[in-house]
Amino acid sequence: MTWVTISLSAGTMFIMAVVLSYILGWASKKFYVEEDPRVVAINAALPGANCGGCGYVGCGEYAEAVALNDEAVTKCTVGGESCAQAVAQIMGVEIGESLPWRPVVHCSAHYDDRLKRFKYIGDMTCMAANLVTNVQGCTYGCLGFGDCARACNFDALHVVDGLATVDYEKCVGCGACAKVCPRNIVSLTPFKSERMLAVTCSNKDKGKDVTAVCNVGCIGCGACARMSNLFKMEGNLSTIDYDAYTPECTLDALKACEKCKRSQIVFVGKPTEKDLEKTKDLTAPELVEPDFKTSVDDTEWRG
Amino acid sequence: MSYLVDIFLIAITAALINNFVLYYFVGICPFIGVSRQVDMAVGMGAAVTFVMAIAVFLSWAITYFVLMPGALVTTWVGQFFVSPERAAHIDLTILTYIVYIFAIASSVQLVEMYVRKFYPPLYKSFGVFLPLITTNCAILFACLTVMSHIIGVENPGQIWDLGRALTLGVFGGLGFTIAIVIMAGIREELDMCDIPEPLKGAAITLIIGGILAMAFMGFTGVDNGIRVALGG
Repeated sequence: MTWVTISLSAGTMFIMAVVLSYILGWASKKFYVEEDPRVVAINAALPGANCGGCGYVGCGEYAEAVALNDEAVTKCTVGGESCAQAVAQIMGVEIGESLPWRPVVHCSAHYDDRLKRFKYIGDMTCMAANLVTNVQGCTYGCLGFGDCARACNFDALHVVDGLATVDYEKCVGCGACAKVCPRNIVSLTPFKSERMLAVTCSNKDKGKDVTAVCNVGCIGCGACARMSNLFKMEGNLSTIDYDAYTPECTLDALKACEKCKRSQIVFVGKPTEKDLEKTKDLTAPELVEPDFKTSVDDTEWRG
Repeated sequence: MSYLVDIFLIAITAALINNFVLYYFVGICPFIGVSRQVDMAVGMGAAVTFVMAIAVFLSWAITYFVLMPGALVTTWVGQFFVSPERAAHIDLTILTYIVYIFAIASSVQLVEMYVRKFYPPLYKSFGVFLPLITTNCAILFACLTVMSHIIGVENPGQIWDLGRALTLGVFGGLGFTIAIVIMAGIREELDMCDIPEPLKGAAITLIIGGILAMAFMGFTGVDNGIRVALGG
């Protein structure tokens, strides 16, 4: 009896194994899904960081989109140009000029510059603080709780004295910070050179309202727009037209920088050797700093 | 008790009263792991329900026809080796666990291949969850519950048929979905809250799971009430 039970058990397992492996073997042939060999190749060429900088969930989805849906091959910000070249080779297409996209924080107010700050005792995240009023006077500017710094997988973003500051040496331009910022003040900008001009303010209010809440914000005087075609006024905020931007800044643009009452038009990006020379005695690593002193010229501006 | 009332009671019991996650505490890993966002939780719940129904169907069939003492197939095969009276007493119950794992794993594989071929959007939405479910204890638990209503039942009339077993599988999966979706909803709100430092992450999740389980304890006894009300 014992032997019958044992042999029947063994028989049951054996028959199940045979039947199920036969069914699975048949199914794997019957339900075989042909995978595009290009998808596999592109997947191998991508860095595999799965950062989502291209706008897809992960590298796999982007590879599929490139191979099957004719997505642009230059979307991978982490891999940069070499990666785009490899992908373009697999797809058999030529790539034009591909620019590195880097985040620019459109705010330059440190704690001292922000007015009407109140004590905030809620959850120490920008997402939560953005839901309530009166954390600070400026409803556009950086809150400084560092959601972006936490979102960064590359340790390239830090909150320095209440202001999110990008470390362009480490940044790969995945855009995680821009996605997570509840105030949308971090925007990805095509870096046509190592250092780019940028307007570091997002406040669209009128000049009087801006000065009431911030010591440094753009007051919308429009001086820059009058000096150079590079600048456009959107409401009460100066913006840079990056399509018209050239690495060799036109003289007008530089003049506009000098003219800016609030030193809002600054260079961001990797520091030049000259800057490193200048700041080598300083201990604080300030990568984003206004390069031009305010030149007070009251004759131009009647705010 | 009429058959329909019985089915109804099994459904209510599996989904709410004896909820797999919140009453028996099985399937905790996906309950904690995949409950960060509601849409992910819905996907996981759908996948679990789907696989649980298939696994319960398979394990019911195997238990009923092969493993239980006096099962049709075993008795028929056994009588070639021993006398028919003794063949009716051959007991293969020891095989249940290994056979269920076997059946669950292969059915998940099969379902994955099938869905990938014929329903690519569905595969995209819950394809990643399917391999995770292979070793999900909630599904094995559903199979074992079905087993306990087939093997060791003294009155042959009370042995569960396929309808009852499938009801348990489907509604057990629905109960899992309810629990994980509620959990995901709470956890989404939790992101906005100021949680004390030592409780952040898994700790607060487990505490909430416990409170949820206590809330579900409120269903206790509802089945008896229904049974009396329906004249069972």
